[in-house]
Amino acid sequence: MIFKGVKRTPIVLSLMAGLLRPKALILGAVLASLAGLVAFAINREAGIGSSPTSAQRTAEPRRPALTAAEEQYIRELWPIHGAVERSTLRMSLGQIFYTTQDLSRAELGTRVKEALVSYQAAETRLHALEPPTSLRSEHLEYLSAVGLFKESAAEVLKMFTDGRDDHMLVAYPKGQEASNKIREVGGKFWPHEFPPN
Amino acid sequence: MPSKPLLNHAMRIGILAMVASLSSGGSLLARDDDEDDQGRPPQVLKQGFESTDQLLGDIERAERGPKHSAWIVESSRFVNVPHRSFQPDVGDPAFVDLPVNLGIIKAPNGDLTLYDSGWKQLAYIFDWNTSCCWHGIRDQMRAIGLNPDHVVRIIIGHGHWDHSGQLSEFPDAVLYVQKEELKQIDFFLDYPVRFNGGHIRAVNTVDPITGNQVGPPAQACARSPVCGYPPQTVQEILGKVLAGKAQIVDGRHEVAPGMIIHPAFRGHTYGSQLLQVNTARGQLVFGSDTYSSWTGIRDWFVANIQQTDTIQQFLAYEKCYVLTSKQNSFNNCISAHEPISYTAGYPITSNWWNIPGGNCSRAAELTLANGERTHVPPSPDRTPPASCHSVVPPHAIHP
Repeated sequence: MIFKGVKRTPIVLSLMAGLLRPKALILGAVLASLAGLVAFAINREAGIGSSPTSAQRTAEPRRPALTAAEEQYIRELWPIHGAVERSTLRMSLGQIFYTTQDLSRAELGTRVKEALVSYQAAETRLHALEPPTSLRSEHLEYLSAVGLFKESAAEVLKMFTDGRDDHMLVAYPKGQEASNKIREVGGKFWPHEFPPN
Repeated sequence: MPSKPLLNHAMRIGILAMVASLSSGGSLLARDDDEDDQGRPPQVLKQGFESTDQLLGDIERAERGPKHSAWIVESSRFVNVPHRSFQPDVGDPAFVDLPVNLGIIKAPNGDLTLYDSGWKQLAYIFDWNTSCCWHGIRDQMRAIGLNPDHVVRIIIGHGHWDHSGQLSEFPDAVLYVQKEELKQIDFFLDYPVRFNGGHIRAVNTVDPITGNQVGPPAQACARSPVCGYPPQTVQEILGKVLAGKAQIVDGRHEVAPGMIIHPAFRGHTYGSQLLQVNTARGQLVFGSDTYSSWTGIRDWFVANIQQTDTIQQFLAYEKCYVLTSKQNSFNNCISAHEPISYTAGYPITSNWWNIPGGNCSRAAELTLANGERTHVPPSPDRTPPASCHSVVPPHAIHP
């Protein structure tokens, strides 16, 4: 096709003839596709994290790279954290279902005893960990949380000796404080643990 | 290689086994506790079934009650969420911001009801740039002219942490939660032990360092049965129960004149519940995450699939269509995470403003009744989100 109004020199015409050869056409198409893909990828990456609808936020700390010692500590704490969470949920729900008369007193007793054993095991495992200095405060925070959980479970267990259900009320603030603590530490170590729901 | 006759025999035996298993399904069936006396066979799980006639009857019933005023406020906002992870059928734009809306309903006597209670887990939310704009509900309420001390009840649409936080901020309020919601958490805590040799973790399904999924089958926390219920949230529910400030609801429940809870089991979680509220613009239906997306209800798309049965989510959409059938239809369905909340695109939320001192969180006035004057300021701050500067509130542990 000849574009009207464009005067071409013989050199230009020769170049165009070369470019119109089948092999050159294929090569050109491949290169153009690659360039398009690269441009699309760059454009897409640039769009991530800069949604035009996002509220502007003040500069917030990004998670710094973990040292090997920090990473090892967080990995070793992970299964302990899972066991603590599971025991706490079972004990909390046990008390709820006992109160709503959906769980027997004996079944609640079993749950609380199991939780206490689990907390004791978690405490032993925590003492065996060697946190790096940078994570020492979080380690102590977690340890104190498990201590509170233990005290809470021990308090609830008293209801099975003296028959007074109000031990659950006495135990509650300790369990709540401990839950807040492990949530704060967990939020730091495992930001993906509870994704948007 | 097996011979052809052998394969034929194997196929026959397989077909026979399949027919036998289908015809002897009795062992799978459990007693149906639903209040449905229409002679249906028993169901495995509670269905939360409500017929169209029953729902239409609840319109009449609620209309005999008082009219209410209503607002939504944004507890916080998830930012840059991949759109398709929220709505698989909708991908444009590729990333969206999701508000976390909760409802505030005011009765003629001044009593306030919260539908959902936002979140409180600040370290998780803020330290790694996953959200913005959090502000405590009590402060938000004061800033829009509502007294948080007048909150008499909190109805949680479901028990996930971002909708049931801050319960302890309202010690005198009565919590309404479905028993099914609590039962599912309890049941699935044993899931890995009982059913999958410990490979699926109901709590903790991500690699502790990389955040990648772990354990066969690949399943992120968000897709596991009880993810979303940290001990902190369940402890707060326990606190309400022990204090005698909880109503463990089982299905439909009339909370007060003009205010009715409807079950939406597995519409998002096992014990999800809706709240029908009588107002001057007809029945409003608050849906929490069962109604995560209002455009999803309008256009019949699923949204925010968690512990969701998509059929049940659609049936819950349908409940809204029926309950709002006399006035405004789906425009009266109130969504928790609709990305276009606080815009004219979601008309009922269009009368919005930035909450003064509210860290870029927003409020919208949905409807007024009983001579209630507007709470929208005379010159509302409608600075668009992109130009609003939020800050990280103080919290216990910083990185």
